Amino acid sequence: MSDLATTPVAAAPPARAAVRRAAIGQGALRIGLPLAFAAAVLGAWELLVRLYAVPEVILPAPSAVAARLVSAWPFLLTHAVPTTLEALGGFLLAAALGTALAVLLAYSRLARLALYPNVVFFQLIPKIALAPLFIVWLGIGSTSRLAFSLFIGFFPVVIATATGLAAAPPEMLRLCRAYSASPWQVFTAVRFPYALPFVFSGLKIAVTFAIIGVIVGEFITAQAGLGYLILFAASQAETALILAAIAALCVVGLALYGLVALAERLVLARYGHR
Amino acid sequence: MAIALRGVRKTYKSDHGPVEAVAGVSFDVADGEFVSLLGPSGCGKSTLLMMLAGLEAPSAGHLAVGGQPVAGPRRDAGLVFQDATLLPWLSARENVLFPIRMMRLREEAYRERADRLLATVGLRDFASRRPAQLSGGMRQRVALCRALIHDPAFLLMDEPFSALDAITRDEMGLVLLDLWERSQEPGRRKTGVFITHSIREALLLSDRVLVMGRRPSVLTADVPVPFPRPRAPGVQDTPEFTAIVARLRGMIEHNLRDAA
Repeated sequence: MSDLATTPVAAAPPARAAVRRAAIGQGALRIGLPLAFAAAVLGAWELLVRLYAVPEVILPAPSAVAARLVSAWPFLLTHAVPTTLEALGGFLLAAALGTALAVLLAYSRLARLALYPNVVFFQLIPKIALAPLFIVWLGIGSTSRLAFSLFIGFFPVVIATATGLAAAPPEMLRLCRAYSASPWQVFTAVRFPYALPFVFSGLKIAVTFAIIGVIVGEFITAQAGLGYLILFAASQAETALILAAIAALCVVGLALYGLVALAERLVLARYGHR
Repeated sequence: MAIALRGVRKTYKSDHGPVEAVAGVSFDVADGEFVSLLGPSGCGKSTLLMMLAGLEAPSAGHLAVGGQPVAGPRRDAGLVFQDATLLPWLSARENVLFPIRMMRLREEAYRERADRLLATVGLRDFASRRPAQLSGGMRQRVALCRALIHDPAFLLMDEPFSALDAITRDEMGLVLLDLWERSQEPGRRKTGVFITHSIREALLLSDRVLVMGRRPSVLTADVPVPFPRPRAPGVQDTPEFTAIVARLRGMIEHNLRDAA
């Protein structure tokens, strides 16, 4: 009887292995296909530039950009440092102040009525246009770039966190009230953990915005930084250097985004919904 | 502790003027009694329960528990909602202990009780699982344990099984029946109020069934349940059970005809 009953189960492992193989195949496809596509685009670019002998000032071949990347490496690194630090600083300040304002909006009806429509308004306007004002107010040093980076990273954090703080199910909050939980307990045990997935989606937007803020600031006025280097290389018609600086910028952007994504993984492993 | 309601009304403000959810309800629940409020969905039963829990104030009338008027949330009540409302990042055991944490009591003192409650409802091996790893019925069992963790004098349940499938629902009725009859220790009997729109569920679990009409809700009948305790699942197959089910269904249909 028991033999009969276990027969289908015993037959299952090969099927499960097949499922796993299929999953690995899917994973390889998901990673391999975009990489293959990117490689194909680079290959076509290289081929077309050589075939039509495009002048390097207009469009250098990927191989020329790679060569410039290697030769200008120490130089790029020097310029990447202020850009990275200012973006990181702007992002951290945006995260701290944005979360603080979102908490205020969640807990004060008066603050919500007065401020929230204005926050949404600022979220919608093209904030890049305000960058020169920050230079006028705060000078040409790194303070103005930090402040501008904070300014544009701030709004996505506020809006995402405020939305998240309203996401706790009303019955859960009712339950807390029934057990006479303090507002602080409700915040730390229920409302903030429920908001975390929203907070992180806001932070991921903010970190990319913070880098854009610093680059725009460097475009306007700076003596160092990758934005400054791009503008400088453009004035010298050093197109390969522009592209090499952009590649370095991509690395900075990916690294900062990766840090936030890693933090998200760690936090949501504890406070996720699975 | 006994519950007494006298002319309790609840009116909500809405865009279309005031809406009456409960229109003058009076009834009593004796100490240690399990009473079901039976009526169609949206007849103000939930509002009544929220007022009993002290989470909403009545617009008029008088509401007393243990002889004292209800003035705010009561710690001696256990609550179960239609949805299990568990915190997704806590294990079943941590969810059961959640009220202890919120009431700022010592969690260690209740850990053993939490495990005992989970074992009673058949979740001994699931205490460390998170809600996403449990079925709907299991989640609702966790919610039942959570409501009982601080040994409350009242258990207030708002359609706790109506989101479950029919088979799980029947099973949960028996789980609650067992849990209830075990927890009725002499000298410390709990009082239960159970909201449902299932006639059979009300009959299986209760000492008395109160039938409610359409919104704004009023009480239309008070039917004592004659089956002795402890009850066996087989009670549902007796002719008396079927006869009372038919009588109650007749009353509810009569109410609906009147409202139409």
